[in-house]
Amino acid sequence: MTGAARIEVDHLTRTYGTTLAVDDVSFHVGAGEVVGFLGPNGAGKSTLMKVLCTWLPPTSGTIRVAGHDVRREPLEVRRVLGYLPEHNALYEGMRVDRFLRFMGRMRGLSGKLLDERLDWVVQAAGLAPVLAKRVDQCSKGYRQRVGLGAALIHDPPVIVLDEPTHGLDALQVVAFREFVRELAPGRAILFSSHVLGEVLTISERVLVINAGRLLADRAVSGLHEQARSEARAVEDVVLDIVRSGGGFATGPQTRDAPDAPDAPDAPGSPEALGATESATEPSS
Amino acid sequence: MSEAGAGAGPPVAVVGRGAGFFTAVRLVAGRELGACFDGKIAYVSTIAFVVLANSIFMNEFFLTGTIDMAGYFELMPLLLPFFLPAVTMRLWAEERKTRTLELLMTLPVRPAATVLGKFIAALGLYALFLLGSTPIVAMLFSLGEPDPGLILAGYLGLAFLGTFLLALGTFLSSLVADQIVAFVAAAVLGSAFVLLGNDSVVAVLDGLFPTRGLGTWMLEHVSVRPHFDAFVRGVVPLSGVTWLLGGSAVFLWLTATTLKRHRD
Repeated sequence: MTGAARIEVDHLTRTYGTTLAVDDVSFHVGAGEVVGFLGPNGAGKSTLMKVLCTWLPPTSGTIRVAGHDVRREPLEVRRVLGYLPEHNALYEGMRVDRFLRFMGRMRGLSGKLLDERLDWVVQAAGLAPVLAKRVDQCSKGYRQRVGLGAALIHDPPVIVLDEPTHGLDALQVVAFREFVRELAPGRAILFSSHVLGEVLTISERVLVINAGRLLADRAVSGLHEQARSEARAVEDVVLDIVRSGGGFATGPQTRDAPDAPDAPDAPGSPEALGATESATEPSS
Repeated sequence: MSEAGAGAGPPVAVVGRGAGFFTAVRLVAGRELGACFDGKIAYVSTIAFVVLANSIFMNEFFLTGTIDMAGYFELMPLLLPFFLPAVTMRLWAEERKTRTLELLMTLPVRPAATVLGKFIAALGLYALFLLGSTPIVAMLFSLGEPDPGLILAGYLGLAFLGTFLLALGTFLSSLVADQIVAFVAAAVLGSAFVLLGNDSVVAVLDGLFPTRGLGTWMLEHVSVRPHFDAFVRGVVPLSGVTWLLGGSAVFLWLTATTLKRHRD
């Protein structure tokens, strides 16, 4: 059983000029759900997440986060949302502890509550070794954890993570998986990845998107059942779904805007969706 | 569409409601000032400005020997359009380039608060520029009896002129991701606002468009010089205060509007 829907996306379309990045996508994520957003690079995942977090306005359709409309109540949406952007841009010159404190204060935390939340974030994300370091002195893995800590500092009921395991080594990915499961009760968690194995392991439900279109909204258990019944690997089932939607990023996700959130890999390239790829970048 | 879900668990209540407007302004200003001093831009620009402005004034002071600061104040419209863009160029252009703009603008605070916070940080740095002239004031009072009202009015004029040019630079920085472009645009436009009040520029423009009196019209309606020059003469004109502060408010509003709309 899932709780009331925390993320409600209804007929969302988002264009960049004449380029269609997200095409009439609808789905809901309830409290207690961990939903993986799967698609090749350039599929539209990041664009959709940017609209969810109020960074980009929807071209048409509606999105409600914890009951708040992203267009009409952006501040309310930002209050309840913990968001880790794709590029995880951080203030490079700040010390990690000061950065987290800054983010907490901007979230309205202060005093004992801020200290408690900082302690929790430092412990949960394993940031103790780098607290006194500047962000630009941290490894990629730690930077990712700092971004995650900043996204969770206010204990948000809705969490949106864009490629959260990018830069984490294999052990950190396992730890992240456990961490997400611990976080899940009472929260709606939507995370994106182009690594198939990762999404199948972490989430209970998978949204497959390609060329801006939502191709499938399936329970992971259902995908496994289908794979068993067809005597195939579950990865092949998902890849078939992606291919049925036009293959690998064959849609029109090309644009000249400088802040292109979803620059596609070479169309047709199987590397665009890593079936067994693991994020194995070492970190200190 | 979904086939399954997980245990919902108890509802989670968010612990932060977002910083209040003025708290956010203070936090952003503090972070921005810290970043300026971390990046050494504050030290370099302040030292360069103070050394240049004070040495030019002292040179003129020894030549004329008058106990007043008019020479210093008259110098400022020529220096500020080039030094203040060094302060404002990074304010938003850097946020765009490093993509931290997305981080900042998805926090639960109003864009106006972040704009004001960064602007106040820039004002703080500008205050350091002006603090560098206090030895001149001390020297003048130790050598003679300068008119304190004239000096006060001059500083007031500098405060308003600086506010206007900083607001212009802030707006231009919000339009681009390249700090150099932001700097050049602010220096060129800031200089234009000053030079349109220059007698020779007015004469040339009037000569080019004699029927419309373009130069005179620009002097009266666009240039900051008539407003600032009144302060240097010891007058605090309400129209000048309104013009400079109103212009600053317009540029800051344009900055907030740009940040809300110009995201993709």
